[in-house]
Amino acid sequence: MTNWTPDQPILEIKNLSISFFTRLREIPAVMDFSCTVMAGEAMGLVGESGCGKSTVALAVMRDLGVNGRIVGGSITFKGRDLTNMSQEELRSLRGSEIAMIYQEPMASLNPAMKIGAQLAEVPMIHEGMPKAEAWALARQLVADVRLPDPDRILNSYPHQLSGGQQQRIVIAMALMSKPSLLILDEPTTALDVTVEAGIVDLVNDLAEKYGTSMLFISHNLGLVMEVCDRITVMYSGEAVETGDIKDVFDKMRHPYTQALFRSIPLPGANKNARPLRAIPGNFPLPHERPQGCNFGPRCDYFVEGQCNAHEIAMSAVPGDTRHHSRCLRFDAIDWDAAPPSAAVVEDSVVGDVILRMDDVRKYYEVAASSLFSGGDPKVVKANETLSFEAREGETLAIVGESGCGKSTFAKVLMGLETATEGKIMLFDENVQSTPIQQRNTDTVSSLQMVFQNPFDTLNPSMTVGRQIIRALEIFGVGETDADRQQRMLELLDLVKLPREFATRMPRQLSGGQKQRVGIARAFAGNAKVVIADEPVSALDVSVQAAVTELLMDIQRKNKTTLLFISHDLSIVRYLSDRVLVMYLGHVVELGTTDQVFAPPYHPYTEALLSAVPIADTSIQKNRIVLEGDIPSAVSPPPGCPFQTRCRWKSKVPGNKCETELPAARDTGDGHLIKCHLDPAVLESMEPVFRTAAE
Amino acid sequence: MEPLSWLEILTRAAQQLLPVWIALALTFGLSIRFKRRLGLYGKLFDSRVGMIGFAIVMFWLFTAIFADWIVTHDALSQVSRMRNVVPGTPLPDPRDAYPYYLLGGDSLARDVFSRMVMGAREVLRIAPFAAMISFMIGISLGLPAGYFGGKMDTTLSFGANLVLAFPVILLFFLLVAPEIQQTPIPRAMAGFLFLVPILFATVLLNSRFFTQPAKRNLYVGVVLVVGAWAYAGLVFNADPVGLWSMSPNLLNVFVAVVFVNAPTVFRIVRGITLDIKSRDYVAAAQTRGEGPWYIMLWEILPNARGPLIVDFCLRIGYTTILLGTLGFFGLGVSPESPDWGSTINAGRRLLTVYPHPALVPALSLMSLVLGLNLLADGLREESLKD
Repeated sequence: MTNWTPDQPILEIKNLSISFFTRLREIPAVMDFSCTVMAGEAMGLVGESGCGKSTVALAVMRDLGVNGRIVGGSITFKGRDLTNMSQEELRSLRGSEIAMIYQEPMASLNPAMKIGAQLAEVPMIHEGMPKAEAWALARQLVADVRLPDPDRILNSYPHQLSGGQQQRIVIAMALMSKPSLLILDEPTTALDVTVEAGIVDLVNDLAEKYGTSMLFISHNLGLVMEVCDRITVMYSGEAVETGDIKDVFDKMRHPYTQALFRSIPLPGANKNARPLRAIPGNFPLPHERPQGCNFGPRCDYFVEGQCNAHEIAMSAVPGDTRHHSRCLRFDAIDWDAAPPSAAVVEDSVVGDVILRMDDVRKYYEVAASSLFSGGDPKVVKANETLSFEAREGETLAIVGESGCGKSTFAKVLMGLETATEGKIMLFDENVQSTPIQQRNTDTVSSLQMVFQNPFDTLNPSMTVGRQIIRALEIFGVGETDADRQQRMLELLDLVKLPREFATRMPRQLSGGQKQRVGIARAFAGNAKVVIADEPVSALDVSVQAAVTELLMDIQRKNKTTLLFISHDLSIVRYLSDRVLVMYLGHVVELGTTDQVFAPPYHPYTEALLSAVPIADTSIQKNRIVLEGDIPSAVSPPPGCPFQTRCRWKSKVPGNKCETELPAARDTGDGHLIKCHLDPAVLESMEPVFRTAAE
Repeated sequence: MEPLSWLEILTRAAQQLLPVWIALALTFGLSIRFKRRLGLYGKLFDSRVGMIGFAIVMFWLFTAIFADWIVTHDALSQVSRMRNVVPGTPLPDPRDAYPYYLLGGDSLARDVFSRMVMGAREVLRIAPFAAMISFMIGISLGLPAGYFGGKMDTTLSFGANLVLAFPVILLFFLLVAPEIQQTPIPRAMAGFLFLVPILFATVLLNSRFFTQPAKRNLYVGVVLVVGAWAYAGLVFNADPVGLWSMSPNLLNVFVAVVFVNAPTVFRIVRGITLDIKSRDYVAAAQTRGEGPWYIMLWEILPNARGPLIVDFCLRIGYTTILLGTLGFFGLGVSPESPDWGSTINAGRRLLTVYPHPALVPALSLMSLVLGLNLLADGLREESLKD
């Protein structure tokens, strides 16, 4: 080991360039990337998908695969150059000095090994620790990552744990040999928000306790703000801005960072008065990057002849410590100027009730085993007493975490499943027990859906135009093929895609473009009610803004009722008129957006709001971390569904929460809360968000 | 005349195969020129293994197609004094005939080279067609089993397992045995097996075009007419024009091959369907009210094509071996038939003395199956790359 002292950087990346070599060409993935992580520091790496942030992480681990190669620069870890280390040396480093945590916890754990054995393996291999000692250490770390009953956990297999628990185990495994550097690659993206909040809390505490440096990769600016001290923003393979969190968030000095912040729904953004600003244009492909500044073609401050003249190097921002920007003009730009305001649009008028659900329930029977049908069949109560109405031109958001019954609700409404009980009135017609095959074309075409996963929403082996035309054929739009062709092109115009896309295959489109095609297809039969099932959650933030705006636009034009299913409360607050919060199949709160986002809250809503990371340094929020996981819908807790995780339970006299299902109570103006808490207690709740005193 | 040296034999054989070389050169030239526009087929030309496999397969395919120009002698006629002669032996009295037996003569004094070439035609006439019918049946049953699940899946999967659990060779013996051939069983099975492709095509077109009745009626009508025509010829041997026909013997072989292959295809298709049916585009089709057959045939099947194409190649190879085995046991084909399996069997008895009559068809069979396997490997490799 070289002479490394703790006051030198743990990790120093200098002018790193990485390329992938394919059959056709060399694809530069990362160019001239530099960053420094000091001991005990958490560095956030932020950017949209394809910007090269994960490639940097893999390069630090020297795990680029057969096609990837470091073509320039150096990675120095504790004074040793990683780029020319032998496999032997790397192996002793990986997992012991540098540990990595991946996005998908289930994929990082060996499903055939017990948790304890997997954890104990790490020090046994790297330090030759005796087995008993290693197991004792594993037990201690399982307790450290705040898992209940460590002995039971050590003896279970990965599939017996929930996603959140698995990710905690992965974190424990990474910490087993006390690494000096922890690389976290989107560690919470696959998890629910309330679970994510718990993990973030844990990572913060552990980093403090063990003094580990972190490289935290995320696309979520809010999350980075909560975890990291410093941030590097990447765009198209380059670091464009780097600095302390506060400097970059409050005094950004690169147009891309600014554009990124303007495209995420922060509190205060409003769909009518202050709409989001999507970044114009598309992300350049790695082999089609422009001359000069990569962001140039999409930049508001672009100057011909200056920005595209030659390659631009990082330069220090005067006045700040360690704050650099890859912009030639950051002195010339007025950073405090308000964004050019878009035309203020009028609030869409809310019309008559179009959809009414009355006491809808959906139960599934799960046979204990299909082969030997002994024992009682179990009943999964996916939806319980769902009642609400939606009006013309309204956006109703349905919020809840995975397993809360949102998707079942969508299926029942679409007619893919029939409800067990209750009434669904669509335009004064009861469609509750009519499966989709028996609904008439009008009903089907007026009730459509936009799906979550853009990579899955289009049939990969049919052209875009063909798929839209098929919807038109089914809905009986147009008399001849020519009519439908024309209508298809108009639909492409509606979703702001060029008409040439009609002959493209879905794989030639980006995620956002595919989602637009999905929207065009949903509106092919002039849909009156559209269920949007997390339509933007899989998209990058800048694209999210554009797709959200598109949906709002079409809604205003067609007076569509939008049922917006989401777990992302920032976007819900931004675009919805009313919000419905679901937990374990129950509607726990229903009201207008303002009512739901201000006290009195349902205790679950309160926790949900507090879990959402917000990328704004001026907002302070109460941290409420829910203990445990969502109970299984097969055996829901008796009484109030939320009682197992509720922090207000002690304020309710007796054991009412455990025995009695609370009724929905109107706290005024149609704001329904399903909770036993006394109205006075509810009123006394503090708001979760506060703007810091200026 | 002097017997030919090995070099001369190879040169003359290559000369005879001239049409094949020309066709191969054309195929490769055109394919490589336009490979970026040809999808998966074009990508095949990026993989060396795939190209070699494709070349071998196409070699035999073109040999089968141009067999009439390539053969030096009639595959069935005998020439006196040419029994078991070594490769390159000149004919005693050539007159107008080709003056040499390039690869020697067999125990009945027939030309081994010509029999090899005609054998390719025999093999390639049945194997791909049988594999195709197997696929149609496997797909037609596997899609609904995977898509609907439940009782239907249980029943069909059980049936498939039952066929798979039965020893294949024994099954063949049973199906091709003369006693069974006399019963109506093979004909009934053929009646069912050949009905499936017609139904398949009808449902395929109907589900797609039912919104435009005029188009639908035209397409489905054409399929039904052509289908009924072929069906009459193949199953009942009653084609009025005489284009479609299949000897009862061949029909039995065909039925047997399809019967043992279809269950494996069924299982592959069912598995892929189970995976694909949870995709959002399937849900999207459901929410716009598409019928189940449209979803199965137009939304799921095209996206299952990758593994199916690879399996198709492997299955042709497997069928070829199966036909060879059948021929080796003297089942199913006429004793005179030049197909490789029968020829290997015929040459077996004198293998230690005169290896060439058995060795030539054996190497041909081996190279074809090898080619098909390499081709499948190449396709699989390339379909995984983006």
